[in-house]
Amino acid sequence: MSKRIMIIDDEKIVCEMAKISLEEDSYEVETFLNGTSALERLEQRKFDVVVTDLKMKGIDGLQVLKTVKENYPDTKVIMITAFANLDIAIEAIKGDVFDFFPKPVKIKELKASIQKALSE
Amino acid sequence: MRIERKIVLSDMFNLILIFLIGSFAIQNLNLMLTKFRFIEIADDLNVAFLEMRLSEKNYFLYHDENALLEIQSDIESTMKIMNSVKNDIVRAIDIKQYNTLGSYLKSYAGVVGQIMKHKARDKKSEWSLRAEGKKLKEYSDRITREERIHISEIIYKSKQILFYSFFAILLIAAMVNRVVSKMILRSIKEIENMAKSISSGNFKKIKTSPPKDELGSIIHAINAMSDELKNREEELIQSKKLASIGILIAGVAHEINNPLNNISMVAQTYMDLYEKLTKEQRIEFMEKVEIQTERIKTIVNNLLDFAKPKEPTLIMTDMSTLIRQTLKLVQNMLEISNIETELDLAQNLPLVYVDVHQMQQVLVNIIVNAIQAMSTHGILSINTRFSKKDNIVETDIKDTGKGIPVEFLPHLFDPFFSTKDEGGTGLGLWVSYGIIKKHDGSIKVESSPGSGTVFTIQLPILSKKGAANE
Repeated sequence: MSKRIMIIDDEKIVCEMAKISLEEDSYEVETFLNGTSALERLEQRKFDVVVTDLKMKGIDGLQVLKTVKENYPDTKVIMITAFANLDIAIEAIKGDVFDFFPKPVKIKELKASIQKALSE
Repeated sequence: MRIERKIVLSDMFNLILIFLIGSFAIQNLNLMLTKFRFIEIADDLNVAFLEMRLSEKNYFLYHDENALLEIQSDIESTMKIMNSVKNDIVRAIDIKQYNTLGSYLKSYAGVVGQIMKHKARDKKSEWSLRAEGKKLKEYSDRITREERIHISEIIYKSKQILFYSFFAILLIAAMVNRVVSKMILRSIKEIENMAKSISSGNFKKIKTSPPKDELGSIIHAINAMSDELKNREEELIQSKKLASIGILIAGVAHEINNPLNNISMVAQTYMDLYEKLTKEQRIEFMEKVEIQTERIKTIVNNLLDFAKPKEPTLIMTDMSTLIRQTLKLVQNMLEISNIETELDLAQNLPLVYVDVHQMQQVLVNIIVNAIQAMSTHGILSINTRFSKKDNIVETDIKDTGKGIPVEFLPHLFDPFFSTKDEGGTGLGLWVSYGIIKKHDGSIKVESSPGSGTVFTIQLPILSKKGAANE
């Protein structure tokens, strides 16, 4: 059974490109443009890895991370952000984020990180 | 004139009046005392003269030999008295009258001496003595009577003068006080007006040449404060600019990083999957790249617009007309969203100096925000008015949209701040704010969730110089 990956980013292209690239590696990928719809989906299905943007309108990446860690502790969270800000990175790591990528994201590095997360 | 000096002067004036009247009263009193002293002396003299006249009678009628001696002794004592109180008498009546009285007494004494020498008792001697005695007594009575009348006159005159001057003082004091207190009140009133003007936010310097009184001191103080405030304001603007640059850099990093990341991810995917992609997909990918570069270009252009503004071309403009023209630009958007417009545009507004292109940019920014806040079936109300008090033209742009949460209001004009779900650069209001500031105007916003938003633009009248100096 293929592993399920959730991508959350308000940039549509990020969702599209990540989906195409990850599906190439036989992952099952679902994408969401905001935190609210993503959390709703999480209530219905289990995901192995959640890749989320940090800064989003409404529910942001930190809130997604918090909810996932509380309700689905087995699910790994990878954070990406256009804000290359160390303070936020530290805050995210405190919240038990699996990995942290500043934009622009290298897809190969992201894939490697996902693989590592799944093998743990 | 200083308030203190005004009060001192008014007091001095009153004091001088009181002093003058007091001196007059004292002088009159002294004169009366002199006259009374004379009347006292005159009464004694009159008694002595009367006794002399009685002795005359005794000598001629009753042949009393001692009578002439008595007269002589009376004359002697009277002369002594007259000499001893000469000063008192002369002060009351003049020296001429005193001398006349003295000469009458002497000639009377002369006749008495003659009669004694000859022991004469004939009719001629009697007649001559009687005549001298009568003359002396009558003269003395006459000056006494005259002085009594004089005293009555002085008392009456003093009474009149004191009575009228009392009212004159009252009247003058009241008038002077009124004038002085009016002057003082006028100064205080002007000070009060200034205080009101300052508390209502007018921190400008007072240009009129300050008078040399408390008002002047206050004007100096206010002007010094105004300078200080201006310095502080400049410091504040500078620090706000620095804060804005901080926000700007963070915003730029985030805003440009997103499309950059998009381009990068498209490129990576394109390279990875090149063989698998169809021709259409490849073109589609490149279109995405193009759209993202356009996005970056827009951000950069907006930044350049703000950072390096073109010199505004100011022309005299009627805001009501400009709004009608601007509405044509957004007519299509309004129709698509089914938004009604309610216009209350003042006729014959005073003209304002604006760069028409920039002002339209501001109006379009605010109107587009309003349309997006209402989505469909809202009402866009725009009204213009002239505020005579502040000499400004005000424009309200009101929507019936969802409103803005209170916590967002302070950041509304910050760069890259956007409440839109997608597609907002967060630069529109920031740029608008800069444009309005360059026009020497101000822009305010009032909003609360559910009750819509009102933007108010205030533009000063005839501020070409102010705007061009920016």
